[in-house]
Parts: sequence; C-alpha cells; structure tokens
Amino acid sequence: MKQLLLLVFGITLYSFVSAQGTITYTCPMHPEIHATTPGNCPKCGMTLVKEKPKVVKKAVTKKQQPIKVQKDTIKIKPVISEPNDGMKMSPAATKQAAIYTCPMHPVIHADQPGNCSKCGMKLVEEKPKDDMNNMGDSGAGMIDKKQAKSNLGPIKTKAATQPPRTIVYHLYIADTIVNFSGKSKRAIAVNGQIPMPTLTFTEGDTAEIYVHNNLKESTSLHWHGLFLPNKEDGVPNLTQMPIKPGTTHLYKFPVIQHGTHWYHSHSGLQEQIGMYGSFIMNKREEWDIPTVPVLLSEWTDYKPENVHRMLHNASDWFALKKNAVQSYAEAAKAGHFKTKLQNEWKRMLAMDVSDVYYDKILMNGKSESTVSKVEGKLLKAGDKVRLRVSNGGASSYFWLRYAGGKITVVASDGNDVEPVEVDRLIIAVSETYDIVVTIPADSTSYELLATTEDRTNSASLYVGNGIRQLISPMPRLKYFEGMKMMNGMMKMNGDLDDMGMNMSLNQMDMNVVMYPEITREEKKKAEMPKDTMSMNDYPHANHNQYNSNEMSDIVTLNYAMLRSPLETTLPESTTRTMKFELTGNMNRYVWSLDNKVVSEADKILVRKGENLRLILFNGSMMRHPMHLHGHDFRVINGQGEYAPLKNIIDIMPMETDTLEFNANVEGDWFFHCHILYHMMSGMGRVFSYQNQQANPLIPNPKLARRKLFADDRKMHFMFQNDFATNGNDGEMMLQNTRWSVGSEWRLGYHDMHGYETETHIGRYLGKMQWLMPFVGFDWRYRKMGIDEQEKNLFGQTNTKDNRAVVSVGVNYTLPMLIRFQTEVFTDGIVRLQLMREDIPIAKKLRAAFMLNTDKEYMVGLNYILGRNLSVRTHYDSDMGLGAGITFNY
Amino acid sequence: MKAIILMAVAGLLSTTVTYAQIKNAKTETIKVYGNCGMCEKTIEKAGSKSKLYKTDWNEDTKMASITYESKKTTADAVLKNIALSGYDNASFLAPDEAYNKLHGCCKYDRESKTAVAVNNTTPGNTMQDHDGHSQGNANVNMQEASQLKAVFGNYFLLKDALVKTDGSTASSSGAALLSALDAVEMEKLKPDDDTVWMKVEKALKTGAQHIKENKDIEQQREHFIALSKNMYELIKASKLTETVYYQFCPMANDGKGANWLSKESAVKNPYYGSQMLSCGKVVETIKQ
Repeated sequence: MKQLLLLVFGITLYSFVSAQGTITYTCPMHPEIHATTPGNCPKCGMTLVKEKPKVVKKAVTKKQQPIKVQKDTIKIKPVISEPNDGMKMSPAATKQAAIYTCPMHPVIHADQPGNCSKCGMKLVEEKPKDDMNNMGDSGAGMIDKKQAKSNLGPIKTKAATQPPRTIVYHLYIADTIVNFSGKSKRAIAVNGQIPMPTLTFTEGDTAEIYVHNNLKESTSLHWHGLFLPNKEDGVPNLTQMPIKPGTTHLYKFPVIQHGTHWYHSHSGLQEQIGMYGSFIMNKREEWDIPTVPVLLSEWTDYKPENVHRMLHNASDWFALKKNAVQSYAEAAKAGHFKTKLQNEWKRMLAMDVSDVYYDKILMNGKSESTVSKVEGKLLKAGDKVRLRVSNGGASSYFWLRYAGGKITVVASDGNDVEPVEVDRLIIAVSETYDIVVTIPADSTSYELLATTEDRTNSASLYVGNGIRQLISPMPRLKYFEGMKMMNGMMKMNGDLDDMGMNMSLNQMDMNVVMYPEITREEKKKAEMPKDTMSMNDYPHANHNQYNSNEMSDIVTLNYAMLRSPLETTLPESTTRTMKFELTGNMNRYVWSLDNKVVSEADKILVRKGENLRLILFNGSMMRHPMHLHGHDFRVINGQGEYAPLKNIIDIMPMETDTLEFNANVEGDWFFHCHILYHMMSGMGRVFSYQNQQANPLIPNPKLARRKLFADDRKMHFMFQNDFATNGNDGEMMLQNTRWSVGSEWRLGYHDMHGYETETHIGRYLGKMQWLMPFVGFDWRYRKMGIDEQEKNLFGQTNTKDNRAVVSVGVNYTLPMLIRFQTEVFTDGIVRLQLMREDIPIAKKLRAAFMLNTDKEYMVGLNYILGRNLSVRTHYDSDMGLGAGITFNY
Repeated sequence: MKAIILMAVAGLLSTTVTYAQIKNAKTETIKVYGNCGMCEKTIEKAGSKSKLYKTDWNEDTKMASITYESKKTTADAVLKNIALSGYDNASFLAPDEAYNKLHGCCKYDRESKTAVAVNNTTPGNTMQDHDGHSQGNANVNMQEASQLKAVFGNYFLLKDALVKTDGSTASSSGAALLSALDAVEMEKLKPDDDTVWMKVEKALKTGAQHIKENKDIEQQREHFIALSKNMYELIKASKLTETVYYQFCPMANDGKGANWLSKESAVKNPYYGSQMLSCGKVVETIKQ
C-alpha cells in the first residue's frame, strides 16, 4: 500500500515537474549549486529548494497576483489591512511602486532593476516606508494585543486590606564576605542579605526608611523610578550629602504611584557589590495572582574599582575571559582575516556587546533557584504567575526566556502596558518589566532563563513544582559577523553611518547578524562561498535585514510594541526640544553626552510646568540605558496618545529616540546612562529647575558640586614593567577623560645598554581622542655599545651618551591603531616614531613594534599568562635580544 | 580534620581507581532516560569533564553513575548538562529543541514529561458563551466543537511543523490529523457542516495520509496546498470559537500561489519556512 502510494505520488510529482518544464533546485546557502531533481546540497547537505524565479519570471508573478487576489476579494469579507504591509509582498505595492533600491544604500533609487552604482549589489524592489504613526486600532499589532489580552484572560483583583498608613523600614548597611564563585570576597549586605530586602508599599502609604550606615565609607540610597521630593532622591552631592559612616539617615516620602521599581546605592561603585533591592508599590486594587519580585544582578570577583580601572586602560582581559579576543589567528580561522584587518584599519578594538566579564549571574541573589510556593500556596498547572523583574546589574543586559511558553509583558518601568506576548525580551540595565508566565503542566517547574547579552553566562529561576524543564541556552555570538557589520557602519572619521535606516526603539537590532538563532549558525571557512553577502542568504531580508521579528518566528519585544492602556498626553504647555548625542570612545573608555562629561557641562535649566522633548541620538558604538530621575517620560513610539511611560530607555548605536515629559517636580534631577561604569565616567547631565528653593540637605552647594564632579575627573593608574634578560622596559600612566600623564623607561643592567626615560603630559582632543598634543621630558645615559647610531634620518647628530631635554610633540592614532608620535626637543632634534603594542596575533599572543627616525627599533612578542602576567621576548636596537616576564597593573 | 578528609578521599580512591583524578569524589546513581549505545556516548560526554565530574550510563538499567568533585560542583549541575544534551533525567527535562535534535534511534519515550494541562480558556469561554442556551443544544455544539477542534488543532500543528521545516514532526502531525479525521462522526455534525464534510472528507484524508507517509518536506508542502484549500472550506462552514486567518503566499506552488490557515495574523509561511518566513499576507479573517 505504502509503495503504491509512493508510486502514485512519484508519478504525480513527475508529471507535475515535467509540466512545469524547467524547474531547478538550488541550495539556500550555495547559490552556485543547481540541480534538476530535489535532494541535498553536495556542499553542506542542506535540502535543496526550488530555485526562485529570476527577474523575468518575477514580472509574470506580478501580473498574476492582482487577478488572483481580486478573485478572492469578491467572495470574502474585507481584507485585513496590515500596517506592516509595506514590509511584505503586497501585490498592490509592487504594482504601483516599480522602484528599485540597494539594500545597503537606500539613497539609490532606480526605475529599472540593475546593480547599485555604489557597491554593485543587485537592486531590490523598494517597498513603501512603514509609517510608524498609522498604527491604528485595526492594525495587526492591535490584533496581537487583543489576542494576548484574551490569552491572559480576566484576572481577579483584590482590594488593599489596610487603609493608607506609614510603613517604616530599617536598613542596616554593613560590610560582609560572600562566596559566589568559590572565592571569598568583600561585598555589602543590607540587613545581612544580598540583594537588599524587598520593600513593599501600597499606593497612598507613606514610606519611612531609616538607613543605618555601618560601613567604613559613606553611602546613599536612590529610589529608582520613584516620584518624590528632590531631597529624598538619594544622589550624593546632588540631592543630599553622602550618608557618613556610623550615621543614620531618614528618607521619608509619600507613595504616590504603583508598580515594579527598585532601589540601589548611588555612591561610587557600591551598586556592583550588593546594594540593590526590589521596591514594590501595589495598587490599592491589585491583581490577585501569584506575584514574585525577581531582581537580576551580576557578580565579579574583581573589585569594582579595579574593573573600572581596567576598562579605562583598554585591558582586553575580560575579552580573554569571555573568549572574545577576536585575534588575527581566530579571524583567519573563521575566514574573516580581511574583516579584522579592515576593523583595525578603521581604528576599532575587538567588538563586543558588553564590557565586563562576570563570574556569576544572580536572580534574587542566586544563580539557580526555584519558586514553588507563593504566599504559602503551591503553584500548580494553569497558574499564571506574575514576575516583577528588575535589572539591578551594574553593566549587563539580560535576555529573558521561559521554558513554559510565551511571556506576556504587562508593565514596563512600573507602568502598565497593554499585554503583549513575546518569546523573549532583553531587559536593559536598570529597566523593570512585569511579565506573566503560565505553568503548563503539573509536577514540572519551568525555567526562566536570564542570559547576559554576550551570552557567556546565565541564571535560572524554576517556576512551579517538580522536575525542572529546561530551555535551550542561547548560542554563542558570531563576533566576526558583528565586526563586519561595524566595519560597514563606521566611517573613517569615527562617526557612525546608519545608511538612511532611521533606526529607533530597538526595532532593528544590528546585532542580529551575530545571533545564530535568527541568522543561522556560523559557517566554517571551507563551506563559505567566496562572494556571497550574508544578505543574499535571506531572500526576504532585503526589506528589513536587521528586524529580527521579520526574519524569524521568534518574537522579540521592542519599544514600539509597548502601548499604555491609558492616554498619556502631557498637559498643555510650552514645549522645548533638546537634542543630545550619546558619544563615546571605546579605546579610552570615555563616555559622554555631546562629547562633554558631567564635570564639563552646565546644568540644564528647566522651568517648572513646561514640557520637555528630548531627542537622543546614539553616535557611540555601545548601547546606553538612559535614565531620568524623578519623572516618567513618554516614549514616542507610534502609539499616539497611548505612548508608554518609562523612566529608562535603551538606545542602541545609531538609534534616535524621542522622549517627552512635563517638568512637574522641582529640584536637581540626574539624567544619565545607567551602566555604572559609563555613569562614573561622566555620561550624564543634571536637569535643574530655575528659581527653586535651596535644598536643605546641601548646605554647601559649591563643595557638593566639586565632589560630584570628582567622579568623572578621577585619574586611572596603569603600570607595566618587563623584567627581561637585557634590561627593564616599562611604563606608567595616569589618565582621565582628557588628560594623560605617562612615563616610559628602558633601564639596562650596565652602561652599555644605557638608561632612558621619557615623560609626557598630554591632553586628548576631539571626540575620538585620536590626537594628543603633549609636553615631555627626556633623559638618557649610555656608553656607546650596540648599534651605534649618532645621526638620525634627518642628518641631525644626536648624542645618546648623556642627554636631558624638554620636548613638545603630538601623538596621533593612525589607521591600524598605530601610534604616530612627532616630537621636537629643546636641542633642536626632531623625532618621528611609529609604534603599536598589543597587536592581537592569537588569543593569548600579542605583538609589538616600534621604529623611529633615531634609527631605533624594537619588535616584541607577548604571551599572556594571567591578568597581570605575561612572558615577553623582544629585540631592541639599544639593548639587543631579551626575554623576560612582564608585570602589568 | 584535614587528615580525615584525606583518608576518606584515599578510601574512595582505592575503590574507584578510574576516578583518581577527581578530588573529593562523591558518586550518585541517578535515572537518565535514553535508548541505545549512541545515547550512552552523548550522555557520558555531556556528563564528563576532566577533574570535575564523570558519568557512566548503563543502557540496560538507564541508570547513570555520576562521580563529581563534591566541593566544586553538584550532581544536579551534571544532570543539567546531560539534560541540555537532550536527555531527561531525575532532576531535569531536556529542552524540546535538544530532544528533537537527537538521532531518530535515540528518541526515547519521554515518560517523565507531564502532559500539558488542557488549555481551559477557550472551551471555558465557549461554556460562558452558551450559558443562555438549552443544555442539549450546547451539548451538540460542544461535541461538534471538540470533533472538529481536534481536526483543526492538528492541522495547525502540521502547519507549524512546516513553518519550522521539520519533516518528521510534520509527518507525525499528519498522522495525528488523519486519526482526528477518522474520528469525526458525521451524525454529530450540524447539517451545514456535513454537506461540506462529505465534500472534503476524502481529500483531507488523502492529503493527511500523504503527509504522514512522506518525510520529505518539499513533498509534504505540495500536499499541504490542497489540504489547506479543503480545510478552509471546512473551517468556513463550521462555527469556530476563535478567529482564524486565511493567508496567501504568491510565490508558493511555483509562482501560482498557495493558501494556508493560521491562528495568528502574523504571517509565518509554511511553504518556505525560515527561507522567507514572512512572505505572504492575510487574505481573509474568519471570525466565529
């Protein structure tokens, strides 16, 4: 029977095929493969697909479509109009707009198919722009929301049992020793616990929180996302003076809102080592379903001060720990040698989505834990559980995914949104989301997996009772694809070029090129066709090559999907628009707004009652979660009057987002990037209300200001010395946002090798900080021995035996990250020098070279043993061949 | 104290020489599901890491003996690794994705997986909707709803499998669809329905049969074209409780275009899967 059926099937298939004439099959990955019968690709084994009709055939398809659709429309009810139509194959669109464009260069328009005049890529049909603002109630987005709402079902509510009252908490802050990773390290605990206790209130209550500082340093607590009087906001040196060791401070404010929020220290880097906690404000009429606060955070065994210092010294130790060095050898192996070369040509360091390597990821202080009971009741199948998730991490974004099905997002930053169902969402640093998950079956608990954006680490929370159902971990990022993407976006002058894509609201994520689950697994070099652009792999990627929701059936949350259930329009008032560019420089870890750090910019004066509209463009290479204190802002996302309210917005590179808020509480309010190390580098501004009353907690505003500015003016120390057989080689540097004081030395073991030091004090100029003029001092002593070179390239005589001179000069970073130095000394001698250290040859191998017009040169190789240690061999024209151990700090 | 630990370790070492490299070794014997020698390889690979843990799985008893460095890791951590490689065990259930990737002969019966509780929202709504009706009437409706519901449900599962370009799941969904079709009792259908049913029954069954017996995704998709057309007729005639979208991809069927039904308005193309997932559009919204 089976055979017979197969036979019949075979015959029908055969007749079908022959009737069609020339059907050919091709591999979706290897377009050069053509076959007349279906089967597998001889190169990669993928199933062959029918070859797409070429342009000529396409025209035929086009003609057929309208007829077909008309026939259908006659007998059926109105066709649902999708706002996304423009992004999809719509016959109407193809009929009117026979315009072709380049997928990479939207500026190109042609009325005939052909190749792009800029890059030679094949032009594709242009689709009408998706108008964000016409997302009406009939749109598909709305339908999905209605479905999400009906899937969520009616949820019972429960009225608060107590009348509004004063709730008092006592928080005792003290040093503690923790062991998250197998090593005992210092941390800060509050009431003996990490995270800090969850503070719960009901709207209408009054909060009285006594903070007892038992630390040996000062502290503060900031109530993140809360509306409160400015002096209770908890920003040291801005809204209050720091809480001194051994003292108690009272925060007292009325609770006038509801939702999921959190609180943390705003002093130094204390937030990294335990000072974060959930802050929950219930509605007076609150949902009666099991609800659990979930606080995400990370743990590093390094002292946060050291992390901060290492970031500023462009240490690639974290990349090494994450196996994300992206060296030349690794690039070559992955078939991306050229990509790496181009990357360095454009003066970029290895690309990554996050800066710091963490030993552990924690959810409510544990990397694995189970919620089986809520308020004494066991969770069972069919239960809907609300998780109030806050990201208390200092610098990590987390992907949230759930093993038991879809995640329904019901609130963001404490503000309700229309329920929306997603497969996953990324929670930015300091954001909060309320999500509802369903327990599908009994005797099973389902994993809620929080994975860091770089996918190197994760934490699990099992929701339910019984055997733990896992979800697949996220596959490793395809770093070289990311590098290639960055190369494309980066202009030679360090600006980013969005190629006319007008990105906003996390809808397009350039990083999808690195996500194997969306853009398929990384290929091995041998399998890679020579000139296939990744884009050609996805026939439909052309419209929307970075929109992950378009490219796969995984639904990822973005800000455009958030819609407030209530109107959020601002009161009538004058509106002032301000523009900010988020700026930064990865190489020197300088982060700023409009290339000015907090200490370099004036406060922004605000009139009480006016509406402010902020237009933020991210021109840096990292994403930034921008947080506004004391206010919620509307995120202009195409939902009209129902724009969602938030107090954090994550802005990816090249995105532009528009926020607006009513200035309704006077005070000095901080607006900053919430990545702790970016904030400490000075990425922020202060909004200050005009003619406000003096803050009683800031008795000496000038002193407070100076202390506030001290954060981003801090100097970072770096030291390195090579103890080699032919002498000591080393340098030492103190650097901050703009200034650099550095000293290099070469000390031989005897006079023949000589002794030499050079000291430079310079200031970095420009946004990218490639240029640094400096003044210097140079001293050397040596008895001529090896490589006697008394004349330089310009014929100037240069005694090396004993020389002490002052100099002026300039450092400039050339493409390939080569440091070019021109220096003029007081004795009239000119020296030009080219130098590069830390050329990533292989994962742990670095090369260095130097040559100058004094006919001195050096080549060296470094093999990294540990964070502070490497073995080094080098040849130096003064000191000859040497080998030794390098210590760096 | 240290000496005692050392002695204890030494004691362990003398009995289990093979685990000599694991310090503070502790051994537990735990159930790990699996079928064959290939499973054993995968399980033991996922459950072993030099100096930290080692797993020895017995094909007959389906028991794994896990030896681990008790100061640095736990048996649970090892079991989690094993589950991530696709094997259910006493502590963890493998991700479906990992299980589905296992070789055909390794697809053990997932006994420890509890069936998903019936999604009670939709039938529940139906009950509420029919509150005012007489009991008998509601009964007929309920019966019909459940009969055809199974048919439609399996159709959607089949469609999802095609979207994922998963031939073997599509084949099993085809089988399930066929049995759901066979289970339909015509006398319990409403008059409107049974005319349509008579018209499409045979074609539906043949289509499902073909998809069941064919693991080649392209051939399954060919059959899915006609199957979807007939299913559309049926779904139009029957009174559904949920909104269904009739969708169309102009490129499928060699440029002639083909339709399918979906519960979501968002287009997920079963004819091309991830190659052009969002190709197509909604041409009709079928409401209850």
